[in-house]
Amino acid sequence: MPTPTKGPRLGGGPAHERHMLANLAAALFTHKSIKTTEMRAKRLRPVAERLITFAKKGDLHNRRRALGIIGDKTVIHELFTVIAPQVENRDGGYTRITKLGFRKGDNASMVQMELVLEPVTPKKKAPKAAAKAEPKAAAEEPAAQEAPVEEVATEDVAVEDAAAETAEEK
Amino acid sequence: MAVPKRKMSRASTRMRRAQWKATPPTLVKTVENGKTVYSLPHRAKVVEDSAGTPLYMEYKGRKVADV
Repeated sequence: MPTPTKGPRLGGGPAHERHMLANLAAALFTHKSIKTTEMRAKRLRPVAERLITFAKKGDLHNRRRALGIIGDKTVIHELFTVIAPQVENRDGGYTRITKLGFRKGDNASMVQMELVLEPVTPKKKAPKAAAKAEPKAAAEEPAAQEAPVEEVATEDVAVEDAAAETAEEK
Repeated sequence: MAVPKRKMSRASTRMRRAQWKATPPTLVKTVENGKTVYSLPHRAKVVEDSAGTPLYMEYKGRKVADV
């Protein structure tokens, strides 16, 4: 059994869905940044990143494979000649999705989807946080325990005094 | 065609309607230039100038979209 597609189905049928994803990918490659719904962006991401992988290989066979999906030669030319060199050193993750707000009308979650064209900055390993806060509450506990005992003792004394006074009066 | 046999009582109508409630959204509180701003977490925020005119949308210090 084939693995089902991740995410919701788009459009009215498989062909409609392919067209929608191809058109969204073409819009993304021409404008570099598009505003769409969150669900469409989530479906578009693997399609767009696969096309960029074709573009990074850059030979005629891969160009024909990309043309089999998008079909617009100007978009594919832009993808292979302009976008592919800019993501040369990036290992995947060519798109960025930022959530914006909710569309008026159907309350759909809108996102800004953009190509990550900045040069790659290598990640630095974060230093381990060695500083630990020392326990400060330890000194306060003995004082708190002693105080009630003393109060009880003074009360006992007071009761005894009162009893002695009453006895003397009698 | 199926039709209701009994009139629905006022009580059950009102009990049904009372179940439709609004839930408060979880918001993030940030203080910018001495002004407290509440915003949705993990979503871009509208940046305004001092007069309150929206300029652009920002997320993690980056401009992401126009308003």
